[in-house]
Amino acid sequence: MVNFNERPLKSALFLLMLAVIIVYLLFPFYWAINSSLKSESQLFMTPATMIPRDPVTLEFRPYFDNYIHIFQSGQFVRGLRNSVIVATLATLLALSVGTFAAFALGKLRFRGKTASLYVILAMTMFPQVTILAGLYAIITRLPLGTVPGMIFSYLIFTLPFTTWVMTSFFKDLPIEIMQSAQVDGATPFQTFYKILLPLTAPALVTCGLLAFIQAWNEYIFALTFTSIDPGARTVPVAIALFTGEAAMQEPMGETLAAAVVVTIPVVLLVLIFQNRIVEGLTAGAVKG
Amino acid sequence: MNLKKRERNLAYKLMAPAMIVLLIVALYPLGHVFYTSFTDRVFAGARDAEFVGLENYHRLLAMTVEELPPVIDDDTGEQQIDDDTGEPVYERPIRVLPRDPHAYRELTTFSLFGNRYVLGARTPNFIRAIGNTLYFTIVSVFLETVLGLIIALVVNSEFKGRGLMRATMLVPWAVITVVSARMWEWMFASTRAGFFNMLLDRMSLIDRAIPFLTFRPMQIPAMIAIDVWKTTPFMALLILAGLQMIPQELYEAARVDGASKIRRFFSITLPLLKPSIAVALVFRTLDALRVFDLFQVLLSRSRYSMASFNYYELVANRNMGLSSATGVIIFIIIFIFAIMYMQMLGVED
Repeated sequence: MVNFNERPLKSALFLLMLAVIIVYLLFPFYWAINSSLKSESQLFMTPATMIPRDPVTLEFRPYFDNYIHIFQSGQFVRGLRNSVIVATLATLLALSVGTFAAFALGKLRFRGKTASLYVILAMTMFPQVTILAGLYAIITRLPLGTVPGMIFSYLIFTLPFTTWVMTSFFKDLPIEIMQSAQVDGATPFQTFYKILLPLTAPALVTCGLLAFIQAWNEYIFALTFTSIDPGARTVPVAIALFTGEAAMQEPMGETLAAAVVVTIPVVLLVLIFQNRIVEGLTAGAVKG
Repeated sequence: MNLKKRERNLAYKLMAPAMIVLLIVALYPLGHVFYTSFTDRVFAGARDAEFVGLENYHRLLAMTVEELPPVIDDDTGEQQIDDDTGEPVYERPIRVLPRDPHAYRELTTFSLFGNRYVLGARTPNFIRAIGNTLYFTIVSVFLETVLGLIIALVVNSEFKGRGLMRATMLVPWAVITVVSARMWEWMFASTRAGFFNMLLDRMSLIDRAIPFLTFRPMQIPAMIAIDVWKTTPFMALLILAGLQMIPQELYEAARVDGASKIRRFFSITLPLLKPSIAVALVFRTLDALRVFDLFQVLLSRSRYSMASFNYYELVANRNMGLSSATGVIIFIIIFIFAIMYMQMLGVED
């Protein structure tokens, strides 16, 4: 424990360092909130103000219309809806398919296991941009629709990730559980379904959350595939291409309001599950 | 059927869906890209694609060096000197670079042993994209590792509110990359309405606002600043996990032996952290090499990363063959980096 009474100078330095780190990490987000509460004229005041101020009287005066506007504009709400659909389904699909494979890789003996593990590991590092042209060709040719196409293509990063992390969780489960279930006459599938799956529920939550965030974040596929179907744009694409009512000016206030709105739920989720997330990240990386 | 056989059959059944999905979303498109990279296929083109061999690769990567002859003054018979700059005048690169069978354009000029040369490329933008990406990757990963190590060491000491601190670290990581790009875009605004120009102005460091995102020397550093902000916490968390695996007894023993704090850091902490740092480095490097979001959102076509070049070639120019070749080159570059890391750091499994 750092003792604040024993060495005042040292602990002051330590606190200063902590403060610098916290400000560095949070300030850009504060600045986005601050700017999203400014009207056009407040945004272009020079020098920029640390809180929204009235251009004339310089009193504190936040402006909430940016938030109202983005919810009235179809593009943002549609983007939110598309993102929720795409990220949720991509995650659920990856979890169900990935958990089956992970159980086999983590607990069963079969030929080709090591090779399969290597393939999955290599896939987690696979540069998605490489196959951009190939996937684009496939998706535009299949009569699938852009949203299902995105969901399916997102499996390229959610599936190897969930499989890899879940495999390491299954591996860590004691083998005795399986053996005693086998002695009791359970088939391997029953063991998996009735005993191991409930035990890995926390891991599934972590893994699902991380996969969801990856899918929520995804930009290059979404941008490419929705270039011919603007109705299917997800949140990152909508925010990148945000246009206002007036074509001349870039609506920075509204863009930042949208940025704040999409960030807060994810930040809350992350804060609630923070311990699990750190565990999952390190399982995905350190053990890989 | 015996138990072993049943187990094996079950394993194959469980693996099958995942393998089929990966086959469709990864292996098939990869094969498609590899094949298309040898053709001149155009997206939604009317005519059939033709096999062009390595033409796409040649077009992307071909470079040439030509000597620039000095411009001789007709009157004096000596090399012309520019009146304004006082520099000797050489032939313009465009007149020296080959035009047949393929046109080369200027990438840069340089002097060597008193001669002036021009480096030309068939697609200077792609060569620059490789350069931009490598510059971005090397600097940002280096900074993220150093800052991540510092933050991890600070957070690793026990203090009240450590949980809160760790939670704070997850905030930048949770922000969508495109969103962080737009947030920083506004902080980098080219007038004093932008945070950085306001700050620099307050500190009287600048006379005139800097247009960070359009001023070429500042473009990549701006991208690096955003990336460092967003991913340093991730790096710190990975290193922190490594730090917490170091047994405390080692430090106790070292202290009993009278090792100084610095000595303990370099003899215990750093060597034992090596595997964690190595893994974090590999992950970050491979990730940084495919940087797309920041470049596309903030610089669009004024400056490319390898991935954003690929994107524009595909979507704006509809050039599937060339885009596919770009994809293959990115794949190879990332593969080389992965192998290099494995060799250098001795990471196994």
